[in-house]
Amino acid sequence: MSILAYVRSVRTVLVIALAVRVVAVGTLASLTMLLGAGLVDLVTPLGVVTRAALLVIAAVAGVATSASLAWRDRRVLSLERVALWIEERFPSLEFTLATAVETGDDRVVDQRSAEHWTTTALRRAARVVRAPLASIVVAGIIVLTLPGGVVARMRAPHRGDSIDRATLGSRTNASRLTPLVARIVPPAYTGEQSTTMDEPRDVRAIVGSTITFRGRGKGNGIVARRGNDSIPAASDNDRWSIALRVDARPAALRIVDRGFERIVAIEPVADAAPVVTLVMPSHDSVLRAPTGRIALAADVRDDFGIASAAFEYIVSSGEGETFTFRSGALGATRPNNTRASVSAALALESLDLKPGDVVHLRAVARDANDVSGPGVGTSETRTIRIARHDEYDSVAVEAAAPSDEEKSVISERMLIMLAEALEKVRPRLKRDSLVGVSRGIAADQKRLRRTVGEIVFTRLGGESPGEEHSDEDSPSRGKTMQDMLARADSATNRSTDPIDFSGGESPVVAVNQPLLEAYNAMWDASTELEVAEPGRALPHMRRALAAIQRARAAERLYLRGRPPEVVVDVNRARLQGKDKGTSSVRQASSASDAATRRRIERFANIVELATRNASAAIDSLLLLRIDALADAPAFATALSDAANAMRRGRSSAATEALARARRLLAGAPVARDSLTRWGIVP
Amino acid sequence: MTSEFVFATAQYDSGDWDSAPLLPANIIDTIARYTEIPVAPTGVVVALSDDRMLRYPLLYLTGHLPVRFSDAERRNVKRFVERGGMLFVDDHNHDIDGVFHKTATEEIARTIAPLSELPNEHPLFSAFFKFDGPPATSHELNGWGDNLVHKHLLAVRRAAGNRIAVLFSNKDYSSEWNYHPESKRFLTVDNTRFAVNLVVYALTA
Repeated sequence: MSILAYVRSVRTVLVIALAVRVVAVGTLASLTMLLGAGLVDLVTPLGVVTRAALLVIAAVAGVATSASLAWRDRRVLSLERVALWIEERFPSLEFTLATAVETGDDRVVDQRSAEHWTTTALRRAARVVRAPLASIVVAGIIVLTLPGGVVARMRAPHRGDSIDRATLGSRTNASRLTPLVARIVPPAYTGEQSTTMDEPRDVRAIVGSTITFRGRGKGNGIVARRGNDSIPAASDNDRWSIALRVDARPAALRIVDRGFERIVAIEPVADAAPVVTLVMPSHDSVLRAPTGRIALAADVRDDFGIASAAFEYIVSSGEGETFTFRSGALGATRPNNTRASVSAALALESLDLKPGDVVHLRAVARDANDVSGPGVGTSETRTIRIARHDEYDSVAVEAAAPSDEEKSVISERMLIMLAEALEKVRPRLKRDSLVGVSRGIAADQKRLRRTVGEIVFTRLGGESPGEEHSDEDSPSRGKTMQDMLARADSATNRSTDPIDFSGGESPVVAVNQPLLEAYNAMWDASTELEVAEPGRALPHMRRALAAIQRARAAERLYLRGRPPEVVVDVNRARLQGKDKGTSSVRQASSASDAATRRRIERFANIVELATRNASAAIDSLLLLRIDALADAPAFATALSDAANAMRRGRSSAATEALARARRLLAGAPVARDSLTRWGIVP
Repeated sequence: MTSEFVFATAQYDSGDWDSAPLLPANIIDTIARYTEIPVAPTGVVVALSDDRMLRYPLLYLTGHLPVRFSDAERRNVKRFVERGGMLFVDDHNHDIDGVFHKTATEEIARTIAPLSELPNEHPLFSAFFKFDGPPATSHELNGWGDNLVHKHLLAVRRAAGNRIAVLFSNKDYSSEWNYHPESKRFLTVDNTRFAVNLVVYALTA
C-alpha cells in the first residue's frame, strides 16, 4: 500500500465524519427549534399558519447550519490539507508527507507510522460526531416523552388539529367546548372541497351543507340547540361530535356543556339560479311565410354548475277568443360546468305554422341543486309571428306633401324670379317677345291666384269666387278685401254685421286676411304682367309673397300659460300660523319602526356590556347579527367585524366597526345647514 | 312708504322681463323663513320708466331678449342707483355670448358704469349665510347657455364703501329659483338661500 493510498484512506474517514457531523448538527438545529415551538404550543396554542411557518423556518435553519459547517470544513477534500493534518499529529514526518503529496514521490516518507494514520483519523472522527449524535438521541428521547399531539401538530399543522393539541394537566371540570372544531362538507352537487375551522364562531356554508362540530372528551351531556331543536352529541374515542345540516335561514347554534355555552352563528349561502341570456334571435320578428330555420343561441352561467339547458318554444294559434297552444323543447344539453353556451336551430316547417301563429322562444337552464332546488333560470322571451295574408305592410312611410301655403310661397317666389329676369333682359327683347313671355308669367300668376282663392274660400266654407269665368273687368274683380272677408265671416255664421278690422278680429279673419291680401296683390301683378310691365308687377308680387308668409306664420301658435299668482303665507313660513301649541307638548316622532328600535336598544345594551364582559358582548353581537342577516346585511357585516376585532383585542378596529354598525342602524346623520319646518322634509 | 320689504321686479319695454314669474314668491318665502325682516306676501312689478320704482331698495331684472332702455328707463335707473338702490340683473340665458348679456351689460355701462368682477370675498357672500362665492346653479351646465360655471358675479360698485350698485349674474338664478315655494320641501338643501344675502345686503350694507 503506497503512502498516497494511506493518505486517501485518511481523507475518506475524515470526509465521512464530516458528513455525519454536518447532518447531525443540521438535524439537531431543526429538532431544537421544533421542540421549542412544540413546548411553547403546549403552553399556549400556536396557530396553523404560525406552526407551518415555524416548520419551514426549522428546515431552513437545519439546512443553513449544515451548509455553513460543510463550507467551513470543505478543505477536508484536499489531499494536501489531509497530509498536513497527518503531519500535525505525526511531527516526526517533518513535512516529508506534504512534500510527497505535492511531488507524487513518496520515497522521502518514513512509512513506519503510516499504519497508525487511519486509526488516528477514526478516533478523531468518532470524537467529532459523538456529541451531535448524542444530542440527537437526547432530543429523540424528549420527543418520545412529549404528548403525541405536540409532535403531530408541529410535524403536520392543519386546520382542525386544535382538538389534538396536548394540554398541561387535566381538569375534570373544564369545558369540553374548547377546543372546538367545525368541519363543513358542502353538498356533493357543488363539487366544492370540505373545509375545517378551529374555534368557529361564524360559519358561512352553502344551504344543504353538513357541519360537524367536534371536541375533546365524551359527548354525554353536550347538546346543541338551534331554535327549538336540540341535537345531542355523539361520542367516539374520547371525542364528541354534533352534525347538523345548514338550513336556508340564518341560525344561532348554542352548544351547551353543563354550565358552559358556546354560540356559533351559521350563515347560509344560497345557491343562485342560473343566469340565462338569449343571444339569438336578438329581437322579435314578423315573418311573411313559415319557412326557414331560426338560429338559437344562449349563454348560461351558474355559481356551482349547470345540470341542463335547453330552448323552449310555445306556439299559439288562433284569434279572437279561441287560441290553442303547443309547446316543445330543443337543443337540450347537460353542460356540467359553471358556464355554457347553448345553440340550436328551429325549423319553422316542422312546427306546421299557419298565418297569424306566434312562436314564443326562450332558453331555460337548471342547476344541479338537489338540496333546495333545482334552481331554474330563464332568458327573456322572443316572439316570431307569422303574418296574415290580409295584413297590411306597415313598414311603408309616405312623405307628407307640403301644405298649400308652402306650395304657394314656392310658386310666388319662382314667378318673382322669372319677372326679375325678364325685367333685366327687357331692353334687349323685341316687343312681341316681351309681351309673349310676360303674358306667360301672367298666366301662371293667375293660376296661383286662383289656388290661393280656393284655399281661402274652401277654408271659410264659402263658394269659390268663380273668377275663372270673369275677365279683368268683371265685377268680381272689384271686390275689396273687406267684401271678401265679410263673405268669409258670413260663411262662418259669426255675424252679418260688417267686420271691424281695426281690432278684436276673429281667428278666422286673422289667419285668412294675409291670404286675401296676397290674392289682391297677385291680381294687380297679373294685370301688370298682361300689359308686359314686369317691373311694375314686381312690387305687387313681393307684397303677395310677404302676405303669404305672414299667413304661414299666423297659423303657428305659440301658447304660453299664465303662472299662478302666489301669495306667500309669511306667518306660516315663520311657524307663526294657527298652531298655538298650548294644550300638549309637541314631541318629535321617532324616526324608526318598532323592529329597528328594538334593534337599537339591543345594540346599545351590547355596547354597554362590552365595557364589562367582552366575551358576552361578542356572543350578543353574534346573536344580533343572526337576527339582522336577512334584512340588514350591511349592519350584520359590521357586527361581524366588530366581534372579530373584539375577539382579537383590537379595540380601535372594534370601535370603528361598532360606530359603522350604529350608523347603519340609525341611518346616516343628515347635515342640515338650513332651518326646517315641522312636517316638511328639509 | 311702507315699512315692510317689498320684492320688486323691474319691467322694461324691450324684453321679456316676466320670464321668471314664480321667483318673487319663492324669494319672499325664503326671506320669511330665515329672517325677521318684515316682508310683503306678494311682490310687485314696477316699470323702470315709472318714478315709483324709486321706492324699492332692490330691483330684480331678468330676461332672455335684448335689453334696450328707453330714455325714461335709463334716467330712472340712474336716479335709482344714485339714491342708493341696488339693481340685481340676472341673465336668464346664462350665456355670456347671448343677447341679454351683451345688451344688458352694454346698457348698464352706458347708464351707470362698466361692470367688473365681484371678488368672492365680498361682504355680499357673508351678509347672512356664508358662501365661498356665488352658489352654482343646476342650470349652468344644462346645455342651453354657454355651459360655463361662472366663478364670479359682475358688479358696479360705488366709489365710496365698496358697496354694490348693480349686481349682474350669469348664473341663471332666474331659472334656479323660479318654482313654487311649496316645492322647496323636495330639496335637500334650500337653493334660494343666496337670495337672503341679496336682500339683507341690499337693506343693510
